[in-house]
Parts: sequence; structure tokens; C-alpha cells
Amino acid sequence: MAIHERSLVEPERILRKERLVVDGVDVSGDWNLIILPRVINDYDLDFAKEIINSPDGKTINQCYQCSYCTASCPVHNYWDERYNPRHFIYLARLGLIDELQKRADVMWRCVSCHKCTHRCPKGVLVEEVLKVILRTMAKKGLIDEYPSKKFDKFFTESVLEYGRIEDGELLFGWIEKQGYKVFKDPILKKPIPFLGETPEWLKQLTIKPIKSMNIGFLVLNAKHMLFHPRTKNWSRFKQVLRKVMQEEGALSH
Amino acid sequence: MSKSVLVIGGGPAGLAAARALGRLGVPTILIEKDGQLGGNPIKNHYHTLIPRKLKPSQVIGPYIRDVEQNPNVKVLLNTELTACEGEPGSYKVSLSNGEKHEVGAIIVATGFEHFDPRRKGELGYGLYPDVITNLELEKMFSQEGKLYRPSNGQLPKRVAFVFCVGSRDRQLGVTNVHCCRYGCALSGLQGMEIREHYPDVDVFCYYMDVRTYGTWEYPFYWAPQEQYGVRYVRGRIAEITYSPADGRLRVKHEDTIVQRPAEVPMDLVVLVLGMEPSSGTKKVAKILGLAQDPDSQFLIPSEESGSNIVSNKPGIFIAGACKGPIDIESSFSEGEAAAAEAAAFIGAKVAV
Repeated sequence: MAIHERSLVEPERILRKERLVVDGVDVSGDWNLIILPRVINDYDLDFAKEIINSPDGKTINQCYQCSYCTASCPVHNYWDERYNPRHFIYLARLGLIDELQKRADVMWRCVSCHKCTHRCPKGVLVEEVLKVILRTMAKKGLIDEYPSKKFDKFFTESVLEYGRIEDGELLFGWIEKQGYKVFKDPILKKPIPFLGETPEWLKQLTIKPIKSMNIGFLVLNAKHMLFHPRTKNWSRFKQVLRKVMQEEGALSH
Repeated sequence: MSKSVLVIGGGPAGLAAARALGRLGVPTILIEKDGQLGGNPIKNHYHTLIPRKLKPSQVIGPYIRDVEQNPNVKVLLNTELTACEGEPGSYKVSLSNGEKHEVGAIIVATGFEHFDPRRKGELGYGLYPDVITNLELEKMFSQEGKLYRPSNGQLPKRVAFVFCVGSRDRQLGVTNVHCCRYGCALSGLQGMEIREHYPDVDVFCYYMDVRTYGTWEYPFYWAPQEQYGVRYVRGRIAEITYSPADGRLRVKHEDTIVQRPAEVPMDLVVLVLGMEPSSGTKKVAKILGLAQDPDSQFLIPSEESGSNIVSNKPGIFIAGACKGPIDIESSFSEGEAAAAEAAAFIGAKVAV
């Protein structure tokens, strides 16, 4: 069955069934399509209370929806109009979670310029409040965690392993995680830079500095990339550091 | 014998006018159609008055006492104006108790009436016991001292305030297109009172825009939100229904910020009533030939005068809510201003 005014119906509200049986009568063909209503049936006030009662989030109650923040927001103005701090505050305060989730793909995009917070006529700490909303949603599993956290984790693991930033493994290990086929040496099973698939942007990004690099530094870098040196006596310190980080919950998320 | 002044109406504006005239030594007759002085705030058992959060007895009580004790003021209860003849400066008035007086000036302070929400059938007032008016909520606070659902006597989990019932509404005819001026502020105050005494009750205000004008902005709009967590939802309630399944009401509206229709469960719905000119105001306007707004029927001041208490008839002054929605403080000051004008008009030799 054709849907009229298709643009007004979000895809997630459309249910199609191959066979639809109502009260034992097979009505497939004519009535195999259901469009779910878009009515708000209730507020999730427990979610809202969790934000209001958190130390960073309590200024959310001061918002009177003037949209000074959104008008100032570079992300809203130059990137995606769906990123709207004023609207997020309204939705969070009533606990309209499904509406927040619709914007999950843009919600992490705050660049922390703090224009919203500095300009807010009601003294709402907008940037902090938005972070609380995101944290609360992530904690409850209502939104995927911040994408850059995946890199942070990888980075932390790498530092913990060698006691230093190991450029080659960090970069190409990360590239491997993005789905590229990286060439690994057969003994250590570590990626060898540039031998496997390398994204074009990385080639461009590497060639330029290499051209202007001191030859001694270049040799040193190449040596490190191949032999993965560690900080001296690192293995003992690593254990201590890992334990402390685990105790403080810094490794869990 | 010096000329006297007739004050029509024993509410805040009339009391303030009579008290001021009495203090100035002007012989004054105060007529009131009800059996008691004080007007709507006393008659309807208001709980707390905006903007100073005092009780009606604290605010209006001293006025009533002064008026009753002043020998210059003659108070006539259960009395209405029936006829008026004569010239400015010597109006011959007939009262419903049969008395006839000659007065030098008249102050009209006949006030307003609350809108009858049964005229908005879609809001279910009179049909569902848990749909109440803000007057009934005030009475609940002042007379019974507790918040409850009339249907079962239990504490509601959620209370919704429906703004602009009988205000800004052309559907009711041209008579109700004005703003009631007090509703937003009173709802903020009532919301704060609920949250103060029952912190677990969630309060929602459904508004089109919030008109807590002037200095009322902070105490009656910001404070309810910031200090008491009253929630403001933009969208006018279009219909109130009842769900037998859970015994709760549903407020049907469009959340105009989210741009989605909504039917949210509520336990108690409070209708914020508009103001209309009282029947007394309409009656007195006819008897005295006062100019009325063609739409709302409220009295309108003289077009020539910059003052809003001077009527189109010389020697007749209008004060308070007979001219349109007004707060109690301003009613007092208008009554007092009208008293000064009336005393000047009759050339009273003011006692010092």
C-alpha cells in the first residue's frame, strides 16, 4: 500500500508485515502496513530527575527556552541544524528520551567552545548540562558512547604496554581497527607501517614531514617502528599503573 | 451639609476609595451587593495573594476594619444601585433598599467575575471530578489545608495547570479575547506552594507564553522553575479525557517545541480561569451611561483624559477590575486615586 505524504512519516514508525492477521482474518495485501502514531504518551521523569539532581546538571532548571545558546552554537549553525542545545535541554527536562535518541548521531558533536554557557541570560551551564545528558544516556545504555573514546582506549592500552607513545603501532593498529588490511611481521604480529593497505590521507600526511626530516631522526623512527622499544623497567611499573587505574575505574570506560 | 460620595462595590478598589474618603472627612456611602465586604478575594477564599504572598485577611482585613470603624463611611450591605438621575455634582441615586441619596460624585468599583469553565466543554470541568479550577485549588489550600484529588481524596502524583481558560479565546466570542494578567503568576505561586509542601508531586504548567509582567518575572516565573522545579511545557491543552483503566486524566495537546501531539497522564488538572466583567459592572454601566468596551464589556476610561480612572461622565470615576483584569495592589491604588479625584470634584474641604 502506498504511503501518502511519505516525507511526514519517519521510517522507524512504519511497520510492514508480509502477512497480517486480525482476529483470525488474513488481511494481507490491503492492510499489511501499520504506521505507528507519533503521540507522546508520557514523560520519563526519573531520567529528568537524575540530570536535575546531578551537581553539573542542576542549572538545567534555569532554562527558559530563549535559544540564545543555539543561535550562538557553531555546531548548530555551520554543521548540522539537528544539533540544538536548547532543544536537548527541553527534551531532557521532560525525559523525552526517544526524541533525544533520534539525534544520537549528532549529540556528541559539541566542540566545547562554551559560547552557549558564556552567553546564556539565565546562567545555565549549557555545555556542562549537555555533557550530563549524554553521560546519563550512555550510562543507561540509551546512546552509544562518544566515538573518540574508542581511540582513547586504544591509545591508553598502547601507552600502558610500552610506557611511551609508539607511533607506528598506534597509528597502524588504529587503522587496522578501521578495517584496513595491515601487513604484520610474522614473529611479533605487530603491524609494519606502509607495507599493507594505507589510506591515501595518511600517505599524504606522512610524505611531507619525511621529506623535511633529519636523516638521523628518520632512522631512529624506523628502528622504533620495527623493534617496539619499551621504557626501562616498564613491566613492573605497568602492573602498578594498571592496578591503580583499575581501582579508580579509569580503565572500565 | 457638604456633598457626599457614593462608592459602588466593596472589593479592594471600593474599600480603598471609601477608606481614603473617610480619612479625608468626606461623607461616603459604600454599597455592596453581597452580605460581606472584601470582594472576590474574601468571598472566594483566596489563599495567598500575589505579589506579596500575604493572606487576604492580612491585606484586605485592615481596609475592612478602617471602613467599618470610620464614622464618615456608611456601609450598606446587600444593596445595589437601581437608578440615577440628576446633574454632575448632584446625582440623585436610588438604592435597592429603598433609600434615595443626593451625592456629589460616584466611584464605580464593581469588579469582575471569574470565567465559568463549563463553557469550555472540551476541558471536562464538571464532568471529571479531578478537573478543578484555580479558585477551587485556592479554597482547598485555605479551607482544608491540603492537596488532594477530589475523586478519591488521595494526594496526586502529577498536577497540570492549564493556562488561559476563558482568556485570549475568540471561540467564546469577542468577549474573552483579553489576557487575565494574574493567571501565569498565580499558577507559578500555586506550583511553588505545592512543591514546597509536597516535593514528590510533579507540577506542569501548559502555556502559550508566560506573562508574568514587570517585577513578577523573577518571583512567579523564574523562582518556580529554578527553586521549586515546576515544569513549563509549551502547548495549549485542547482536550481533557479520562482513562478508566488507570483512573487518571489525559491532557491532550501538541507540544509545540517538540512539535508532536501528546496525551500525558495527570492526576489533578487545574484550570486557570480568565476574568470577565461582573454582572454588577454591566448593570451599573447601563444605569450610569458609562462607556464600555464593545468587545469585552469592561468599562473604559474617558478618551479625553490621560488618567484611566476618569470615566466618560463628569463626576463618575471608575476604579479596579471593572475596567479589565487588574491585580489587588493596583486596585487599591486606583481606588485611592479615584477617592482623591472625587474629593477634588465635589470641592470637599479636607479635614487635616
